[in-house]
Amino acid sequence: MTLPFDLGLDHPLALLLLALCLLPLFATPFQGTRAPSLALAPEDGASTALAVGVRAVAVVAIAALVLGLAGLHRRSESITRLGTGSHLMLLLDRSASMDNTFANRQPGRGEESKSAAAKRLLMEFLARRPNDQIGVAAFSTSPIPVLPLSDHGDAVAAAVAAIDRPGLALTDVGRGLALAIEAFADDPAEGSGAVLLVSDGAALIDPHVQAALRDALGRRPVRLYWLFLRSAGSRGIFDKPEAPGDDIPQVMPERHLNLFLASLGVPYRAFEAGSPQAVADAIAEIDRQESKPQLFTERIARRDLDRVCYAIAALALALLTAAKLAERRMDDNARPLPRSTRVAPNAQARPLSAREAA
Amino acid sequence: MATPIMAPLRPPALLRHPRAVVLILALLLALAAVFAPHLRGERAAYRLLAVVDVTGSMNVRDFGREGHPSSRLDAVKTSLRELAARLPCGSRMGLGIFTERRSFLLFEPIDTCADFAPLDGAIAALDWRMAWEGDSYVARGLYSAIDLAAPLDADLLFFTDGQEAPPLPHGGMPPFAGEKGKVRGLIVGVGETIASPIPKFDSFGHEIGFYGAADVPQENRHGPPPEDAVGREGWHPRNAPWGAEMAQGEEHLSAMRAEHLQALAAATGLGFTRLGPATALSEALATSARGRPAPGGRDTAPIPATLALALLCGLYAAPLLLSLRHKRTAAP
Repeated sequence: MTLPFDLGLDHPLALLLLALCLLPLFATPFQGTRAPSLALAPEDGASTALAVGVRAVAVVAIAALVLGLAGLHRRSESITRLGTGSHLMLLLDRSASMDNTFANRQPGRGEESKSAAAKRLLMEFLARRPNDQIGVAAFSTSPIPVLPLSDHGDAVAAAVAAIDRPGLALTDVGRGLALAIEAFADDPAEGSGAVLLVSDGAALIDPHVQAALRDALGRRPVRLYWLFLRSAGSRGIFDKPEAPGDDIPQVMPERHLNLFLASLGVPYRAFEAGSPQAVADAIAEIDRQESKPQLFTERIARRDLDRVCYAIAALALALLTAAKLAERRMDDNARPLPRSTRVAPNAQARPLSAREAA
Repeated sequence: MATPIMAPLRPPALLRHPRAVVLILALLLALAAVFAPHLRGERAAYRLLAVVDVTGSMNVRDFGREGHPSSRLDAVKTSLRELAARLPCGSRMGLGIFTERRSFLLFEPIDTCADFAPLDGAIAALDWRMAWEGDSYVARGLYSAIDLAAPLDADLLFFTDGQEAPPLPHGGMPPFAGEKGKVRGLIVGVGETIASPIPKFDSFGHEIGFYGAADVPQENRHGPPPEDAVGREGWHPRNAPWGAEMAQGEEHLSAMRAEHLQALAAATGLGFTRLGPATALSEALATSARGRPAPGGRDTAPIPATLALALLCGLYAAPLLLSLRHKRTAAP
């Protein structure tokens, strides 16, 4: 059920009970007073206000209880705020080599595989960035979308937690990048996207895919970060070729992927990390880079208002109780009255007719 | 008037005012409603890992209504999204995919209520293009999905059509090495029992027709040949232990292999059901998966609040009813 002010009800049918609000308009639990006529009493603003007020308080008490029972709540909503944050797509390498240590061995006792180190450090990174819109994609032999861009930190953490499971065979960086960049196609925040590629190797990028990447970045520029987890003995991003004939992508895929990414015309930085500490430094640097003022939407969770309703009802009931306890009959101090002194029933008509005559 | 309006009320005087007592009771009940605790509910929430087969045979379009065929994968996605929306709050669902001979974990179980949007988006993004190999060793994929679910303490939902590609060798399905029944859950059979052609795609993802009989292996020729191969045309113990003829078969068509999946379910201690609407799926889950008590269950506030409302309304209604009765008795 939709109500104004983003309010909602769990049990709208319970609102039928609001008809009970009519009761205080027709009845009162307060003592009647043995006055022959109301018209006998002079018109008194304070008394009228009190009479109306007591009825109103009773109506409020009933209405608040009914609304509370109907499950009044403020619906979850999103508000747009200015803060520091980023729209970030994590592109994670899930190839089997990620399961080895930085020394390129099977992790032994007390050793950490590259994927476990990346998982631990990315988790810390995520914990520091509650305002980011983050999506996750994985790639290995094929590109695998994992989570769309969202601000659900728990979901992103669950996806990052999955990266230390055994990986697949190969490393198809190109299609993975295409997938990650494509994720920004529907993201309206112009000029705020970034892709963080975490991998321990590179591979040839098919010319078709290269062209598709240039196209996609031309339509929707995003910043690129490449966190290269370098294992001992493998080639690095910044290695120079030893022989002129070695300067080809087939021999030095890491160097050529770096050159290719740098040639795409979008802001790009590469980090080469040979140890968990170097990964931590690189992530801290990305953390600094991606903290620009940014419009972001903050979701406010649903807030139940039934307790507020009950509190209002309790307050109203307290007022009613106070009124009831303060109640005195007009003739209390004259009690016990001898029967004969009571106002004769026929006296009732007199002032009325007097007023009519006036 | 000299009436002492606010004279202090002595306790015996209070008892002379039953209506005041009722009001005070209502007040106390309303206060109780404000501070009433949330009881830990006994309702069943689930912790699930859904693993979806994304192999080629899942592209078979044998679902959907007349004129609007939809593929098995689309049917799984629709059903899974509905199931995620139906699960009681406090449930968690993780997602994985299966191709080749293993299952691949996309993310660990996340809250189906608080994180519904990314969960729904991730299920919607499932695609046959995520598959990294064309093979479909269903039994091995199921075993590896069970291995994924066990450390997550999750119940498994394994969606597959049960078509092994290449076909199982004559020795039958590989043995299950794990502990039977340790991981609970469901194998969900997807597809019709009548065989349909499997769409074929080129390397750019364009559909280019259907698989033909010659495109797929019709017989698994790994391992020892079957006993009856001796009688086959052109059989030779060294040169043609499987016979000299091309294997004939229906492996290029795909139907849901219910017997195979039931055998797998029996071997692993999982349940088996056919893919149906999400309501049927959640009913099947209730018998096969472990419900766990979810925190923040029932709210106790409505009980005192209802009593307070009843007292208050009774207080106002009583004089009305009394006066009605008076009127009736007073009337001649």
